[in-house]
Parts: sequence; C-alpha cells; structure tokens
Amino acid sequence: MHNGDEHVQIPIGPQHPALKEPTSFTLTLQGEKILQMGVRLGYNHRGIEKACEGRTYVRALYLTERICGICSHSHATCFVQAVEEIAGLEVPKRALYIRVLISELERIHSHLLWLGVAGHEVGFDTLLMYTWRDREIVMDLLAALTGNRVNYSINTFGGVRRDITDAQKAEVLKGIDALEERTKYYIGVATEEVTLIKRLRNVGVLSHEDALRLGAVGPTGRASSIPRDVRKDDPYAAYGEIPFEVITSDCNDVYGRTLVRVGELMESYKIVRFVLKNLPDGPIAVKAPRKVQAGEALSRYEAPRGEDVHYVRANGTDKPERVKVRAPTLANVQAVSKMLEDRYLADMPIVVAAIDPCFSCTDRLISIADDRGGSGVLFWQQLREYSIHWYQHHGIDFTELNKTFRRGEDA
Amino acid sequence: MKLIQRMVGWARRKSPWILHFNTGACNACDIEIIAALTPQYDLERFGVLLKGTPRHADVLLCSGPVTRQIQDRLVRIYEQMPEPKFVVAIGTCSCSGGVFQGCYNVKGGIDTVLPVAAYIPGCPASPSAIIDGCVKLLKSLEEAEAAPPAKPSKNQAAPQAVLAPKT
Amino acid sequence: MEESLSVQAELLKTFPQAVSNVRVPRARRVFAQVPYERFSEVFDHAVRRMGFSMLCTISGLDGGTCFETIYHLARPSGVVLNLSTSVPKDQPVLKTVTSYFPAAEMYEREMVDLLGMRVEGLPPGPRYPLPDNWPDGQYPLRKDWKPSEGSEGPSQEEPHA
Repeated sequence: MHNGDEHVQIPIGPQHPALKEPTSFTLTLQGEKILQMGVRLGYNHRGIEKACEGRTYVRALYLTERICGICSHSHATCFVQAVEEIAGLEVPKRALYIRVLISELERIHSHLLWLGVAGHEVGFDTLLMYTWRDREIVMDLLAALTGNRVNYSINTFGGVRRDITDAQKAEVLKGIDALEERTKYYIGVATEEVTLIKRLRNVGVLSHEDALRLGAVGPTGRASSIPRDVRKDDPYAAYGEIPFEVITSDCNDVYGRTLVRVGELMESYKIVRFVLKNLPDGPIAVKAPRKVQAGEALSRYEAPRGEDVHYVRANGTDKPERVKVRAPTLANVQAVSKMLEDRYLADMPIVVAAIDPCFSCTDRLISIADDRGGSGVLFWQQLREYSIHWYQHHGIDFTELNKTFRRGEDA
Repeated sequence: MKLIQRMVGWARRKSPWILHFNTGACNACDIEIIAALTPQYDLERFGVLLKGTPRHADVLLCSGPVTRQIQDRLVRIYEQMPEPKFVVAIGTCSCSGGVFQGCYNVKGGIDTVLPVAAYIPGCPASPSAIIDGCVKLLKSLEEAEAAPPAKPSKNQAAPQAVLAPKT
Repeated sequence: MEESLSVQAELLKTFPQAVSNVRVPRARRVFAQVPYERFSEVFDHAVRRMGFSMLCTISGLDGGTCFETIYHLARPSGVVLNLSTSVPKDQPVLKTVTSYFPAAEMYEREMVDLLGMRVEGLPPGPRYPLPDNWPDGQYPLRKDWKPSEGSEGPSQEEPHA
C-alpha cells in the first residue's frame, strides 16, 4: 500500500545506462519494498590462501593479519593457534593472557567503530564523532602496547613478541575506566533515546529459527538469542580461565545487535581487568621450528564480528600446504538477504551495517530494478541519503538529537 | 582570467573535496582515513570534506591494492571526476601492492592504473601521516600555481598540466 | 576430551566400514575420513543424529590425483568434527549440502571457482570469489596453477627480502 507521489522517490542513477560495473547488491523492488536481493562478493578477493602456500609461515602470518584490518589480531591469532597445534607447541600462559588482552582491546575498538558507523548510517553523525573520539583511547593503548594502531603483529609462533610493563598495565586500566564511563553513556543513549530506538527496533528482523538455519554467527546470531560464543564454547588462548558473560538479546533485530555489542563492551572491560590482575609470570614465547611437521588443525576464534575459522595443513616444510580461512562476515551474508526480504529499501544501509560486514564500506554499488520500469545503479552514499530522507519523511529524524547530543556533551 | 584562476585555485586548496575509495584493501587504511576525519585528528579543519560521489570530488583517496574486479570501476570513477583532479595512494598496498604483491587477482599499486599525485606509505597509514600527506599535496598545488608554466622545448611534448587548473 | 572420544566411539560403532582414520588429536577435535560413496549417510547422521548443527566451513584441497574436501561441523558444546572425503580429479563432482546448511552455498562456490570442482544441486547464483572477467579454465587453488598463467602482475616467487 504505497501512495506513489507522497513518498520519497528512489534516486536511481546517475550512472550511464551502458555502464557495466560489478555491483555488490542487485535488488528487485516493488514500489519501495525489496522483493529480491542478490549479493555479489569478491571485490576484496586477493588470493591470500594461495599466496600463503607459496610463503613461509612467518610471511603467511603477516598476510593473514591483513585479511581484515579491523580484526587483524583475530585472523593472526586464529592462524597462529592452528600452526602451534600442528607443531605441538606449548605456548606459555603469560603469552596467552597477553593475546587475550589484545583480543579484547581489538573487540573494544571494533565495537566502538561499529557504533559510530551505525550512527552514521542512520544520520546520527554526532554518535560517529563521539564513539570514534573515545575509540582513540583504545587506539593509543594498542599503539603503546604493540607499536602500531592497527595490524598489531603481537603474535609469533610460540607466543607473543612483546611483553607488557607495569606502567603499561596502569595505562590500560586507566583507559578502560574512561571507556567504561563512556560506554555506560552510550548504553543510556541506546536504551533511552526514543528516536534511536524507533529507528532500530523491528528493523532487519531475523528470527531465532532463521538465525539458526542460516548459521548466523557473532553478535548477529546472539541478537537472535543464539548463545554461541567461541570464547565460551570452544575456549582458546586463556579464555577457559577467564570469567565473563555471553551477551544475547531476544530482540532479533538491529536494536538487539546494538544492545549485544554495547553489552560485550562492558564484558570486555571486565576481561581486561581480570587479565591484568591475574597476568601470570614467565616467558612470553617458546621457540618455534621453521619447518612444521606434517599435520592439520582447525582453529576457531571469536572475532568482533563472529566466529573466525582457519584450517591449516602442514607438510613438513617451512611453507603451509593449505590455509583455509572462513571470515565471520561470510557466514552472516545470507542472513542479510533474509532480513531484507519484503522490507523497505530505506532499511538496507543499517541492516547491512548491523552485521558489521568486513567487506569494504565505501565501494558498494547497488543495482536496482523496480516495478515501474526504472533501473540503474546507486552508490552506497546515495542509498544512505535516501534512507535518512525516507525516515525523516516518516517521522524519524536525527537532526534534533545530533544537536542535543552535542549540547549535552559541552555542558 | 588569471585572478579567477587564482581564486578557484585558492578555493580548491582551502577546501578540497575528497572521495574515498577502497580498491581491495583490508580496511585498515579505510578506518584510518575515517579516523583522520574524526575529532582527534580532524582533517576537516583543513577544509577537507568527504563527498559521496566522484562528480563532486577534487581528490580521490585510494586505499588498497588494485584487484582485477575493481580495476575498471576505479578507472570509471576517476573519469567521472571533474578536472583538475588528484589521486592520493594511501597505505603501502596502494603505493606498491604491499603484502599482496604477487597475489593473483592483485594488479599492484594504484599507479598501475591511474596517475598518482601523492603516496602515503604505512601499514596502515596513520591518520597523522594522512594529514601530513594531504597538507603536502595542498602545498604543492599552491607552489604549482605560483610557478610560471614551463615553456615546452621544441623537441619535447608539452608536459601534462596535472597540477594547474585548466582554463 | 571425553565428549570427543565419545564422538569417535559413536562414529566407529555406527559406521565401522565407512569411516577410517578417526583421530582425536586434542579435546573438542575429531577428524575422520569417509569414502565419497558413503559420505551422505555419515554426514546426515552427524548432522541429524549427533547434533552437529553448525557448518564452520568446507575446505577444498588439491590432493594430487584427487580433490579432498573437509566438512568442518561443530556442535554447540564446542566439539568440531572434521569429515574428510575425496573425489577423483577427473570426476570432481560433489553433491550440495545446502539442504542442510544454506550457508554452504558460499563455501561450495569457492570450491567451484578456485578448484574447478562441480557441485550438483547448487542453487543458481553469481560466482564467488573470482571476478566476472576471470578466464575460464583457470583454477588458482590447484597446485599446478601459477599466477602468471591467469593474471597480470609478477609471478609468485618470494619477493626479494
């Protein structure tokens, strides 16, 4: 039931009709609703698995770190764990605790990043500015601990490359205290700001059954009441000894995914404090052989986006026989198609953003064909603007909230 | 004519509008580019504005090595940008292919496909390096504007006026 | 460890002829091999009767004369069952498991694109992960494939240190 002329028009174009560019999403619309959605991935396919076969394990490690810059430690640790298992290495406890520390700091930076991106997608740009400013606290901590803001390279086969000093521990605790205060503020915003709740509630719905059937992982799955977290179910590093809660929500929607992520931030702060309080003494690495004996291992890791899986097979040389990587986003892609079935086009930006996708954020092109004979290609930015405009037209507008948010901060 | 040129040049330098495009990167440089636009680094104080389409952009910030899939798209985006336009390669992968050199499906750095005005290395390039690179680019535009155009010698083809605005 | 050992025991008991090389290298990891003609029944049993309700991924490997495919199945309790099977290289045909796990579609497409396998019953859809203009007949993950054959750019020797 759409009243054609009253509604915001979908700005199809401005691409030349003869343009044949690969588009990430192909949509068939009926009016403003998505009838069908196809997803085309592979833009960032670089041939990493093949490249790993031709490189030594150490070089392959540098490559796996760069599968995704946001969860670089996730991929690196997942890979390192598999190789250590094949090689039969006993990683010192201190190193495992340091790995957990960096893992949680990465989760914190990633979830704050996501909060900002989600704000941006719905037009709540002040949220982007504040969360990313707060995120700089954890970026500085990571830079101090590992030498780099991103791509930390803390792992080596057999342990970690850098130790943590008492002074650094104190800095981390200070940073965590500040972040916890800020996160409580964001939880307040998420649970009390009517505009935000209206915008996110019942958007991108994925029922518990569908989430199970489609294999949704990470916060996406947990927001549909799937209590799965590799840190709890299949503990790795030092997680078996660290108390924390797995955060779930029964909202089944983008709002639930928001609650899960801010809840996980609070748990991460607890984990970091536990790690620093209970950091065992001892060496930070054992010596690893250059050649890894023949064998295979399947390593799993709970990245900020969900379950990351690495399968490694070794053949007795200094180069892997096979490295197979399944990043979490790949497991959640089908869930997105389901979430957008028969929903408004205007929901697409936040629904896609809510799975926290690990493909490039800026170059997604959307190809659209609608039932009025229109067809063309949209840039993501255009879709985002259409979405914000559509919701403004339907009474959900972040202009005022952006202003009051800013005023509240200055007070 | 010259005054207008100088004004347009000044406006362009004082407020370059940028388009950020990921050509196959791991996202590390992308998040550092966005971080450069957020309060701690605040690229916007240099008048830099992030735009959504190539038609409004002066500067194309590229991150990532060029993959086969994205190559044509990258060229198309560049062609849609109005003159004068500048390409900045952000991160080691954009400069040379980085860690992905030799991977199938990776062509190499941005300059295998487009003329690059500035290279900002780093893995990823930190926001301070990105700001430094942008400021240097803006400065070189200023200098190019101030310098008299070089007289082409008889035997030389006229150099491509990449940095000077076309009349 | 106990749970993994009981998984091992159940497999050996239910399929004494079909499964071989059933190993438990550590807690929560079971590896087993199944010849392809018995694969569907073992897979079905693992998913429907043994509670392996999650498919982590499917790894395809070039094993020389055959293609090996490993289905990494997990249970909520954390145990992962890695079921390995193989098909001959000259007849690299698998049946899809998307009726059990819709998400398997992406993993099966990877094997089609990168190894040149065929998966019967795959729903229609775009290829993944190779680009549209990738030349036919070039399967990068095969051991005998070298980048200079199918791509522009330098060959895959170790970059100078």
